[in-house]
Amino acid sequence: MLHKPPDGQNFFSRRYFLQALAAIPALHRVVETADQSPIVNSGSSFEEVPASVSGINWTHVNGRSPMAHLPETVGAGCAFLDYDNDGWMDIYLVNGGPCDFYTPPQPLRNALYHNNRDGTFTDVTVRAGVGGNAYGMGVAVGDYDGDGFPDLYVTQYPHSILYHNNGDGTFTDVTAKAGVAAPGWATSAVWFDYDNDGRLDLFVCHFVDYSKDKLKFCGDKLTGERSYCIPTIYDPMPCWLFHNNGDGTFTDVSKESGIAQSLAKAWGAVAADINNDGLMDLYVTNDTVPNFLFANRGKGRFEEIAMLAGVGVNAFGKPRSGMGVDAADYDQDGWIDLFEANVDHEMYSLYHNDKEEAFTDVALPTGIGEATRMLSGWGLKFFDYDNDGNLDLLMCNGHPDDKVDKKIPGVKYREPMLLFKNNGKNFRNISANSGPIFSQPLAGRGLALGDFDNDGAVDVLVTQNNAAPVLLRNNAGRQNHWLGVKLVGRKANIDAIGAKITYRAGEPERHQSKVGGGSYLSSHDPRMVLGLGQQMKLDWLEVKWPEPSGKSERFTNLPINRYITIVEGEGKWK
Amino acid sequence: MLAQKGHCREALPLLKKATPQITDKQLRYQTAMMTARCAMSLDQTESAVRALLLLNREFPRDPDVLYTTTHFYSELASRASQELAATAPNSTQAQQLEAEAFESQGNWDKATAQYRQILQQGPKTPGIHYRLGRIDLSKTPPEADDAKKEFEEELKIDPNNASAEFMLGETARQAGQWEEAIAHFSRASQLDESFAEAYLALGMSLNSAGKFSEAVTPLEKYVKSQPGDPAGHYQLATAYARTGRKPQAEHEMTLQRQATAKNPQQPH
Repeated sequence: MLHKPPDGQNFFSRRYFLQALAAIPALHRVVETADQSPIVNSGSSFEEVPASVSGINWTHVNGRSPMAHLPETVGAGCAFLDYDNDGWMDIYLVNGGPCDFYTPPQPLRNALYHNNRDGTFTDVTVRAGVGGNAYGMGVAVGDYDGDGFPDLYVTQYPHSILYHNNGDGTFTDVTAKAGVAAPGWATSAVWFDYDNDGRLDLFVCHFVDYSKDKLKFCGDKLTGERSYCIPTIYDPMPCWLFHNNGDGTFTDVSKESGIAQSLAKAWGAVAADINNDGLMDLYVTNDTVPNFLFANRGKGRFEEIAMLAGVGVNAFGKPRSGMGVDAADYDQDGWIDLFEANVDHEMYSLYHNDKEEAFTDVALPTGIGEATRMLSGWGLKFFDYDNDGNLDLLMCNGHPDDKVDKKIPGVKYREPMLLFKNNGKNFRNISANSGPIFSQPLAGRGLALGDFDNDGAVDVLVTQNNAAPVLLRNNAGRQNHWLGVKLVGRKANIDAIGAKITYRAGEPERHQSKVGGGSYLSSHDPRMVLGLGQQMKLDWLEVKWPEPSGKSERFTNLPINRYITIVEGEGKWK
Repeated sequence: MLAQKGHCREALPLLKKATPQITDKQLRYQTAMMTARCAMSLDQTESAVRALLLLNREFPRDPDVLYTTTHFYSELASRASQELAATAPNSTQAQQLEAEAFESQGNWDKATAQYRQILQQGPKTPGIHYRLGRIDLSKTPPEADDAKKEFEEELKIDPNNASAEFMLGETARQAGQWEEAIAHFSRASQLDESFAEAYLALGMSLNSAGKFSEAVTPLEKYVKSQPGDPAGHYQLATAYARTGRKPQAEHEMTLQRQATAKNPQQPH
């Protein structure tokens, strides 16, 4: 007679255990034991720059209401951008604002801070004219008209704005002329050239069908106290894809491209060539519905392949709450991998690209799953924080429900950031040794990368919901050598989204791809910083420009520990 | 009428006799329900069970049937446990029942103490280390290392405990140790061929380890026994897709979507 397990199916079902075990910390923390190499940096790799020093006194206001409108808890984003082309990264911050469910008691505005080149910033928002005009969510920076000055697309509820950079420190709202208002609740946006015509197109994430009139009740029915709803209760909506016509206008191609066929509850997006076919694909994280992997099939058509690619749902076939997202070839095998942050008890996913449009989630064996089991992740980015040549991973966290502390044991509204160091073979959670900020609870949302002090150590800006942003100076990157590269496309799109830099400074040969977007509601320093480790010389560097150029240019005798600009087709750097 | 007026003693023999001959569905339902209730009130367990079995067979989703069944079995369990406590208070069975009651209340310390007491009296009592392991995993934060030891101890006592094997497999899977997980899940499914979740977990681990062709068989077994579970279809679709069987993969993905639609996630 076969033995029947003691638990049987009566009280605790086996499935209960299979899924309840999602709460088990891993017995063997592989990553911690596998990599015992000493951490290079001592002290704080990342050090908070207080507002009293930076001059960034702006604070995000969410307008938290007793009605618990969902947009209140999910914003907002930020950007590093050099709006005046002076070679120094400025900062843009997005705020809440007036809409049908919120009338701010005092006027609210987004903020543009000019970099004073001495570690301080000056608020230039009013002169620039980029304050926003609705309930702000995120920002995507891209030079859509190729005039050399980065423009701003600010996502909002219930409509978004395109600010054209006039090149004189001011911007003009050109939304109506451009035709990119995207009526609805827009979240993350990405500039990228999907049809390889050399112009930046625009993808905009659409969250649910939302308005004050469509507010649902979630919370305690006895007391009537509301809390933020899980978005299962709201209807999904199609995202937007706008084709750049090259004359300052865009055409909404959401339907004919296939994008609108997939109904989204989208938070995050990143554009990257996941199948190395020279066409930029899109990975979009959704909340409570499967994520999308829009494979670009050319001729303006996308095919949604997330489920069979293994990046749509969790191992149990269920959608998660996909929020932050990024793409990079973290293991340098030539294929771009993906990362997705989710909500507590879901773990985040590191999707290794197995080629042939198939991925395997390696969050558990890398230790990332265990470290993120109880967290909710938003802004995140792969980058080489210590310039050793390997792409590390930084993320900010925070639960969307401001009452969660009383609801779910072990889950907090404010959560610390995480830093995973890539040693070339696996990831190691080094948060505890990387500075006090990693033990500070934050209501983290947006995260942007940018080297604001031009020292080659890429710094970080984190936005918080209903709180001040956190500017972090990177102290680790200076311990190694580096080269910063600004790519300027000519035939290819001017921001060189989709370009790939391959370089060698001793062993091994490395590469980095310039993806579009990534993180959450945020936009990043467009320059690529190549980590050289302790190598004093860069042997060579090759730029593979995206189509329609497709050209490769090789450079030798390059300097190190400084920024250079490479303009497509000029065959030289400056 | 007799039953409705509370004359169950007189009504029950008539009801038992009449029920098998009634063909009208509604009348049959009412008669069987009255039989069950009267039998329960008169402590006639066998008659009550027979009536409830009929009701569950013929009206399987009726809320009243389910409620009455729950109520009756609960009452039956309560009486049996009281009798156990009265007749053999120091028996292993009585102690285990008490420990299980603490466990169900989430009182981990008392449940653990009770289980430990059983082990003191009989160190090789099967099932107890397994229970202790489960408690370790239920704590906040879970004590996974201790749980693993308990499951291993359980297998020393009872090498045929498929659940302990399963739990060891799952702890390995959670650590991303695919090969160890595969070994445990394989043993669990061999020990209990009806252990559906062991096949799912085995297939899942094989897929994670990149052994897609090996994953197909256990996953096919799983979806056959649990066709309403989206997890099985998703994992099988993955295995098919990664072994070049795209049409089958797409078919399984369709089934996955259908199964998910039947069990949507709930809002707060």
